[in-house]
Amino acid sequence: MPPPHAIETFALTRRFPSGHGVQPLDLAVPAGCLYGFLGPNGAGKTTTIRLLLSLLRPDAGEVRLFGEPVGPGRRAALRHVGALVEAPSLYPHLSGRDNLEVTRRLLSLHKTRLDEVLALVDLTAEAHRTVREYSLGMRQRLALALALLPDPRLLILDEPSNGLDPAGIQDLRVLLRRLVAERGLTVFLSSHLLAEIELVATHVGVLHQGRLLFAGTLDELRRRSQPKLRITCDDAGRAAGLLAAFEDAPPDRQNQTLILVPRRSSPAELNRRLVEAGIAVHELVTTAPSLESLFFDLTGAPLEVNHG
Amino acid sequence: MADFFRAVAAEGVKIRGTLARRLCWVAPLVVVGLDVAMLLVRKFGDRPVPAPAEAWLSFAQEAFGLWTFLMLPLFITLQSALLAQLEHGERQWKHLLALPVGKTVHYHAKVAVLVAMIFSAFLFLGIFILIGGHFLAWAKPSLGIAGPGPFGYLLTKSLQVFLISTAMITIHTWIAIRWTSFTVAVATGMSATVIGFLVGQSEYRAYYPWSMALQVLGGKAVEPGPAIATALLVAAVAYGLGLWDFRRREFS
Repeated sequence: MPPPHAIETFALTRRFPSGHGVQPLDLAVPAGCLYGFLGPNGAGKTTTIRLLLSLLRPDAGEVRLFGEPVGPGRRAALRHVGALVEAPSLYPHLSGRDNLEVTRRLLSLHKTRLDEVLALVDLTAEAHRTVREYSLGMRQRLALALALLPDPRLLILDEPSNGLDPAGIQDLRVLLRRLVAERGLTVFLSSHLLAEIELVATHVGVLHQGRLLFAGTLDELRRRSQPKLRITCDDAGRAAGLLAAFEDAPPDRQNQTLILVPRRSSPAELNRRLVEAGIAVHELVTTAPSLESLFFDLTGAPLEVNHG
Repeated sequence: MADFFRAVAAEGVKIRGTLARRLCWVAPLVVVGLDVAMLLVRKFGDRPVPAPAEAWLSFAQEAFGLWTFLMLPLFITLQSALLAQLEHGERQWKHLLALPVGKTVHYHAKVAVLVAMIFSAFLFLGIFILIGGHFLAWAKPSLGIAGPGPFGYLLTKSLQVFLISTAMITIHTWIAIRWTSFTVAVATGMSATVIGFLVGQSEYRAYYPWSMALQVLGGKAVEPGPAIATALLVAAVAYGLGLWDFRRREFS
């Protein structure tokens, strides 16, 4: 039976003199999912990825990939992994194809893999050009091809949309979804861009100041917060007093608009009571919480919202 | 072992079209070209024309001395720095060391490629000395160069100096990989070479890697065995320390 998790960490810890790093971190990334690893800049996402890839030594704890331990001298599990860590690592004087050839030789892969991954990232026509002639987006795509070259079971991508134009980001989303759906790949996608994760991920982990504040599915995350009710009326002051009495908590007030999370009464009940009190209700809307606000609630730090 | 050969093959791709690869023939060509040019313009007065074998040896010794004393230390400095910069430049280590290939394999491959490049430069040096000698025989017969070149001298000295240069190769590989800055690697090599000019004229030249090779050249040449053994010992220690340092360092 295959191990249920592509990535597992147990009390993984690494601290830097600056105070940054990761606190005891227990990650469990199910195999076959697209896991969004979210957190503001400096949260410890890249440190975590470097620990997963054995680029850094942990102060304590353990990493397992598909059940196999990874660490100094224990690199066998990395054969299942393709990775892109931060900016692409490429040889600018070599062509795109030769950049792939370096890794192909190191891993003793079949030559046909070069054409396959170049086609996957739509770089076949540009493969002969030297990388120093490539745009930032093309470099990013080549780095993605490099990560896909060993035909990995687990793809670890750190901010992969950096440098990509909106069309490139869209293509990346389609490609990642396809890899998960058709090949059963597990994708571990680190980003500080909320929209990017929201559009592709099935599972998320929220990291802040080196601590994992949430791990689960997107739906589980959404369920952590109840819908909010927005009421616009002709006498917001009196309505606020009434709603505070009904709900045992005062609503937020913005001019003639009141915002509250109804806990004791349904929206219809609140509407009826306000009307009975002689208050004209112009608008009553139930709004689902945005992921942005959920993350803000969790981390207390703003995440960048990119709707591209 | 298969990993090592694959890593060497990968290094072969990395150096395609690089200055480091071109320097393997450019550096010896510069040395021999300079020596040939000096001999063409030098006035010998009414000096008797030496015997052909003696003239050949004199030319070969001069070119070899220039190579060993000046060009070789700088060449090794530059080659090791250029090879290491292939990985430092775009932070390639974070890609290479995330692969399922042993960390030490990369270090072994780097040293092997540098050794191969230095060895190829010695081959080019020998070839260019022979070509240069034949050119001088035609262009300036008064030098006395004629007949076949000093193959025995070239083979023996090339091998001896190459083996002694392994001390410099391993030290420079360690430095160039240890520090990501190109300037640090080059400045260290240049300083060590200049110091070698002074140490080379003293009794301590047998213990200084940048002047060790001078022992087996010139009129005061010593028995090569101990000199080579000392250099190989220094090379082994530098290799071991460099490898230990590489294994414990984090490249991210």
